[in-house]
Amino acid sequence: MEHKPPLLEMTGITKRFPGVIALRGVSLTLHQGEVLALMGENGAGKSTLMKILGGAQSQDEGTIRIDGKPVVFENVRAAKQHGIALIHQELMLAPNLDIAANIFLGGERKTLLAPLPRGEFNERARALLARVGLERPPTTPVSELTAGQMQMVEIAKALALDARIIIMDEPTSSLTAGESEHLFAIIRKLREEGIGIVYISHRMEEVLELADRITVMRDGGYVGDLRRAEATHDKIVQLMVGRDLSGAYFPERPRSATQEPMLVVENVIVPGAAAGVSFMAYRGEILGFAGLVGSGRTELMQTLFGVTPALGGTMLLENQPYSPQNPRQAIARGVYLAPEDRKRHGLVLPMTIAENTSLPNIASYARFGWLDRATEKRVAEAEIARLRTKAFGIAQKVVNLSGGNQQKVVLGKWLAMNPRILILDEPTRGIDVGAKAEIYRHMAALAADGITILMVSSDMEEVLGMSHRVAVMHEKRLRGILPIEGLTQQRIATLMTGGKGAQAA
Amino acid sequence: MKRETGMGVALLAMCVALYASNPDFLGASNSINTFRQISMLGIFAIGTGFVIITGGIDLSIGSTIGLTGVIIAKLSSPSCLGLSLWVGIPVALGIALALGGIQGLLITHLGLQPFIVTLGGMLLIRGVSQTIADGGTLSLSGSPLLDFANGGYVQVHGAALLPYPLVLFLFVIGIATYVLHFTVYGRYVYAIGGNRDAAEYSGINVRRVEASTYLISAGTAGIAGVCYASYIGQMSQQVGIAYELYAIAAAVLGGCSLRGGEGTVLGIVIGSAVMRVIDNGINMFQLHYVDTDQVPRIWRLNPNWTYIIIGGVILVAVILDQTVHLVQAKRRIRAAGALAEAQKAAQTAAANDAAAKSGANGPSAPPPPVVTPPHDPPGQQGDQP
Repeated sequence: MEHKPPLLEMTGITKRFPGVIALRGVSLTLHQGEVLALMGENGAGKSTLMKILGGAQSQDEGTIRIDGKPVVFENVRAAKQHGIALIHQELMLAPNLDIAANIFLGGERKTLLAPLPRGEFNERARALLARVGLERPPTTPVSELTAGQMQMVEIAKALALDARIIIMDEPTSSLTAGESEHLFAIIRKLREEGIGIVYISHRMEEVLELADRITVMRDGGYVGDLRRAEATHDKIVQLMVGRDLSGAYFPERPRSATQEPMLVVENVIVPGAAAGVSFMAYRGEILGFAGLVGSGRTELMQTLFGVTPALGGTMLLENQPYSPQNPRQAIARGVYLAPEDRKRHGLVLPMTIAENTSLPNIASYARFGWLDRATEKRVAEAEIARLRTKAFGIAQKVVNLSGGNQQKVVLGKWLAMNPRILILDEPTRGIDVGAKAEIYRHMAALAADGITILMVSSDMEEVLGMSHRVAVMHEKRLRGILPIEGLTQQRIATLMTGGKGAQAA
Repeated sequence: MKRETGMGVALLAMCVALYASNPDFLGASNSINTFRQISMLGIFAIGTGFVIITGGIDLSIGSTIGLTGVIIAKLSSPSCLGLSLWVGIPVALGIALALGGIQGLLITHLGLQPFIVTLGGMLLIRGVSQTIADGGTLSLSGSPLLDFANGGYVQVHGAALLPYPLVLFLFVIGIATYVLHFTVYGRYVYAIGGNRDAAEYSGINVRRVEASTYLISAGTAGIAGVCYASYIGQMSQQVGIAYELYAIAAAVLGGCSLRGGEGTVLGIVIGSAVMRVIDNGINMFQLHYVDTDQVPRIWRLNPNWTYIIIGGVILVAVILDQTVHLVQAKRRIRAAGALAEAQKAAQTAAANDAAAKSGANGPSAPPPPVVTPPHDPPGQQGDQP
């Protein structure tokens, strides 16, 4: 082999955010015609590293070299000019424009007022679509495409810019099995054309099938590299987690849930779902919900919380009829939700910890509408002490807290109100390892107190480590509820992706 | 609170400078008049502040002010129907509230955009005024209402030191301060402006609270409408045009954000005062100088510059505010990064100590993970802003 410098070399990349160091001296190398899988738990720093490579953020320290030459990316445009294309997990397409317009968006012309060369665009778009194997006319509006087809448009967009490095962030998270296969074929083709691909994924089978090399990150640091030949499932997990998962990380589960039903869900129809969902959750149980992104777990939780009221079916909460039409009614019955997107749905970011903690409950300890700030302060202080929230005090604005501490504020606001059912949607997403372990401990303690926890999680280790039983969803249906004893990741994954092999328990 | 301090200082400096250039600025007649102007603007600026703090906007209040006056003139002017003011004023205020309520319901229950609903309301209400006045003017002459704006308490040399609109303004300030800053309702207003979804997910009846703010906005516009009717004395469709923009400007100068969630009653009061003092100052400001022929002359601001100056002040205020915010944010990130690094170093040291004690880690093993980092008790990290 000739001694050519690698296509991409990132060395000593460090990035700080308020309250956390997202990256500590991370290095990454990518060669021409190579598929590099980047792996790590949520919050390991993969996305931040890729945002830096894509020019969306700038590193505080460290250098990026392309073909051995140091480069600095002021912005996304500069990164694109160096042939770097980032395909986000949530696709960045304008649904109101057609395929060709999306492919050439931002690369149209020299002057803003020149007429759009539509004919030329359509011609070039057709060629690009043929390269990625998408058989739709370039004039099709993007809103008519499936998730998999949109992914192809994203790739075509990258190719239109003559990208030499394509970063894909969890590209299969919303694809069907068939679409994923198609994507893999395209990736292999691109590799043969000499394009370097950074592939971020949590799905072990994909990575083992596709990657030439695997780089593992943990807690914002570089942990190690594995060649394809030496990589195994266990080795990767060991590098990613760095410890025996069943040990110190997850707390002892409360012996067992009672057999006393807390919530009985009978044929409840979630808006947007074709069929009803039925299950039962017991007092003191942690019921995990596994499934792919888009499998309908979050929607089910929102229906249980009254955000999108059920279209049919019945529910019983502690043997009393329960059919919340809005969150107010759910909260009145002691059913609380810590939402998936806590910045959007969980917190009023410009408000203080105290104000966020008291928000759902403040009316109950006000007298004639007059705010009772003394009680508010006492409650908030009790909650940050109980959850060990790291803050200067209850008067700190929530926007300045780290993700883990923000999640603790969300939890604190509900814990102050004696929950019956606590719905936790991705409770530890984007949270550092330390805070994660603490949240797990609190969950176990709450369950031991007889609170029922419904936990939606895409983190398989978390589902296996915390749940008493695991409900698996696929395409808006509940595929089965499996007791944790003897349950394997494999078995959940099979059900999650639409495979058979387990009966509803 | 910072924005209020800044604007308060600016207001004070402006007053001192105006007094220095022209002592008449603080003379009885000018200061009473300025206070009256501040009061009439402040009353409805506070009301529209409720809407702005929830993240909405109300463009219809200028028209509501005009309509209130037109209805009062139509019902109670001796030259029109000649009914008692005890009929005219309550009917006018009731209609103002109803209009606010309808717009609020359209916005919250049909999910329409506040800008568009209140833009429609603004034009429609204006048109109603014009129709009632039949395109002309309704005079209030002979009505006892005319004594209201110019009258007041504490008579000195025939001038009332405490004009009734100022009394009304103080009343509105008191109630609004209580409601916005000391009640659960006020907390909900801020929460909705800060994050509507999170407020909904916390069980707040977002729609009801939001709709009620349009009621408050229209109600204060009605009260201001009574004052303006009394002050102007004859109502045409021209009264109140663009007043909503003055109210929005006053709120923004006083620290409200049009994104919602920010602003105080005190800030809106100061913002209203700044707007009116600038207005008045353009007339009052003068520089005495002696020209080349040794003739003493007075230089005055060109009244045509009024909008240039007001527009400039608004832009300068928001630019300064944004600059301060950006500098603070940058400083905070830097401090937080340093803090996090120090904590990490402490944790790593602790972990290394532990590893050294146990001596279990081989050289090829990955670095020891930190499972549960020691947490500093809150309040010990004193090196951040």
